[in-house]
Amino acid sequence: MTKTSRFVAALALCGALFAGSALADEFTDNDVDHWMGEFKATADKGRALWVDGTLGSNGVACAQCHPNAANTHPETYPKYQKQLGRVVTIGEMINWCIQNPLEGEEMKLDDPRIVAMQAYVNFERRGVEMSPGKH
Amino acid sequence: MRTNDPSRRGLIRGAGALMATLPLTQVKLAFGGQRQDINIAYISDSHIQHIKGNEFVRNWDRGLIRAVAETNLLLPKPDFVVFGGDLAQLGTKPELDHGAEILSALNADVKYVMGEHDYYLDLGAYWSELFGPQHYSWNHKGVHFVVLNSILTHKEWTFDRWPTAEQRMLEMAGLDNPNGSPFMVGAKQRKWLERDLKKVTDDTPVVVFSHSPIQKIFKHWNFWTDDADEVQALLGRFHSANVIYGHVHQIQYNRIGNIHFHSVMATAWPWPYPQSYAQAESHLPVVTVPMNRADPFHERDATGWQLIDVHTGRPTLSYKLANNTNRTVGPDPATGMPHDFDFQERQISAQDHY
Amino acid sequence: MRIHGLMAGLVLLSGSALAGDLGLPEVPIPVDNPQTPEKVALGDRLFHDTRFSTTGEVSCSTCHDAPTGWTDSPKVVSEGIGGKTGTRNSPTVLNAAFNKSQFWDGRSPSLEDQSQHPFINPVEMGLADHEPILAVVRDDAEYGEQFNKAFGVATEGITMDHVQKAIAAFERTVVSGNSPFDRWFFGGEADALNAQEQEGYRLFITKGRCVSCHVIEQTSATFTDHRFHNIGVGINRIQDDIAPLAHAFMKADATVEEVDVAVLTDPRSSELGRFAVTRDLDEMGNFKTPTLRNVSLTAPYMHDGSIETLPKVIEHYNNGGVTSEGDPVNDFLSGGIRPLDLSDEEQAALVAFLEALTSPVIPTSSTK
Repeated sequence: MTKTSRFVAALALCGALFAGSALADEFTDNDVDHWMGEFKATADKGRALWVDGTLGSNGVACAQCHPNAANTHPETYPKYQKQLGRVVTIGEMINWCIQNPLEGEEMKLDDPRIVAMQAYVNFERRGVEMSPGKH
Repeated sequence: MRTNDPSRRGLIRGAGALMATLPLTQVKLAFGGQRQDINIAYISDSHIQHIKGNEFVRNWDRGLIRAVAETNLLLPKPDFVVFGGDLAQLGTKPELDHGAEILSALNADVKYVMGEHDYYLDLGAYWSELFGPQHYSWNHKGVHFVVLNSILTHKEWTFDRWPTAEQRMLEMAGLDNPNGSPFMVGAKQRKWLERDLKKVTDDTPVVVFSHSPIQKIFKHWNFWTDDADEVQALLGRFHSANVIYGHVHQIQYNRIGNIHFHSVMATAWPWPYPQSYAQAESHLPVVTVPMNRADPFHERDATGWQLIDVHTGRPTLSYKLANNTNRTVGPDPATGMPHDFDFQERQISAQDHY
Repeated sequence: MRIHGLMAGLVLLSGSALAGDLGLPEVPIPVDNPQTPEKVALGDRLFHDTRFSTTGEVSCSTCHDAPTGWTDSPKVVSEGIGGKTGTRNSPTVLNAAFNKSQFWDGRSPSLEDQSQHPFINPVEMGLADHEPILAVVRDDAEYGEQFNKAFGVATEGITMDHVQKAIAAFERTVVSGNSPFDRWFFGGEADALNAQEQEGYRLFITKGRCVSCHVIEQTSATFTDHRFHNIGVGINRIQDDIAPLAHAFMKADATVEEVDVAVLTDPRSSELGRFAVTRDLDEMGNFKTPTLRNVSLTAPYMHDGSIETLPKVIEHYNNGGVTSEGDPVNDFLSGGIRPLDLSDEEQAALVAFLEALTSPVIPTSSTK
């Protein structure tokens, strides 16, 4: 933020305080829908990456072995992953799959594509109980 | 996972003897009459995938190569080998040619079943050039064998929905694609089947080779045949009707009426069981004991091929799973149901968390 | 936690088991063969006794000798009585206690079981049966005392079971960890490995694709998955003859002893690997994943000793399971093996990492 905009924000804050209403993290149903929409947009990008076969070098797509992201068990991470010899997050396992069956290059863990795929995978697995560490 | 414990060697040796050295014997059937051994090697779902030029996905190539090499070592030699469909991934000429080249190393008579990945680019034109008719039947040692093309779908989807053949193939290639369309044998082929079966007596064992399951298992992933009921009705009068199907890349088995259903493995990659998709209901046959999960580092894990022995008139499948525990599924004389013989011997914890 | 170099030496000299075992899991000890000092001393003596061979010159230690990493490095394949050669490179006894099966093809389920076979193998000790061994130990007064102390058994009651148990108990003391890798990874010593060795570790668990078979875990590392894989060594020599060789085993329904003789005397059948034991087509050309601990002491490498140096081993894996790049790969190659595309630098880092798996203190024997 620039110096000016910080000043404006500070003023706004004071104004809100003077108005006497509670702050905290207030949000409306519309906000919730809107933010879910933001998430869905990312998850949809993840789905597109999941099926398009361009993440690696051999044309294989994640969806070929994991239709609807089945058998990815996002609810079990972090967990001991024997293919990596240590406890890892699902992003690291996604990278393992990109490097190994897909014969591609790993990405940085905060790459928007990794985040998008995690969003997609978790969305397809919604409602399943958390079981961290479960093989 | 594979048990490499040599203290189980006695069991393994016994199983090895069954799989690799099946003796030729005359066996009396429950229905009366005698039958010879029929041993069939079944290789399916190789999904040869073209990258560019002369490059194909190495992983799938290795799977088919291994299945062919192991089949060629069988003692005694199988009566014939079946290729169960989905030789190619996108039905292209390079893929079908490359797959045919690998299969040409088989030193046995080969029968071909077509899969949707072979069909939807050119409606099986090049497949038929290479391998012959898309449905047919023959008799062998007193058993009637039928090959069905069970991956057809609605005319509108096949001919009118998509602007190009490539698009159509891509849409059908995605297992979880919401734009897909359910498989069927179709009215025309069912009529052909009815006429074909008219010449077959009720007590002749009938074995149908199909790509789709001739059952309604999981519509979401097209583990499905829309006219399953009609086809099952045609098979209903036979004392021993059996369907062997590919497509699902996992071990499944079932009995409906007098029909035993058995899936075969893929040589390319395994699929999760439908119940692992949390957002849709599935109806996996209740009798099925799931295969072990795969370790994706070992590229052949939970892939393989199978040796089918039909000497009792009912198929017994010996699943040869590289890097995973081999399994045997066949008729249990006590219950009449298909049954996993190895299940009781398993000394590993449940691997059913898909 | 940094341990000063000098202090580390002092800890070792004081004989603290803990310092020497860093990175190792607990030694598995079978319920029917608990460790006792008497048993271990007896086993040590049996292990080194050359009278249990037809020429009186070969003992277990002939091929599994402490000064050469408990192998007979640099021999390519081992030599038994009268210099007879077998087909297999001597696997190390060091840390063999952690293996879930013994021999390159896993045909023996335990140290106890394994120890009986070389005595009666025609190219190792050459005895017709185990009777000469029992004759020696029953005749020898000192052995009589040792067996009595170890097993509470009188001289006439000594059996091969006692002999095997004693040898196994001794072998269970031949363990060592505490390598520079162990100190870095489990001991938290940040500079126990240099930059190149650390890069080697990173490659080991990623691009090198090593860790799935040569297992490193969060709390210990045996460097083996105890499984059997075809990595394209040796089998290429018999590619055209696999069918007749395999069929011979499938028809013969051999016993373990017969397999033991066949695979050590016939270099072609030897390449069938674990298939010769289980006759399972899925195990064609499969051999056991050995530990990588102390691998710099046990050259040459692989079941047939055919790869001379660690850089050549890395090259073999980099080529995707063939000795020379571009050679045809065998049909039964394990699914985990494929070309790796490692640069020269990356290969050198992996070699450096492997050399950092050497334990500073190798157990020796109290028997000459």
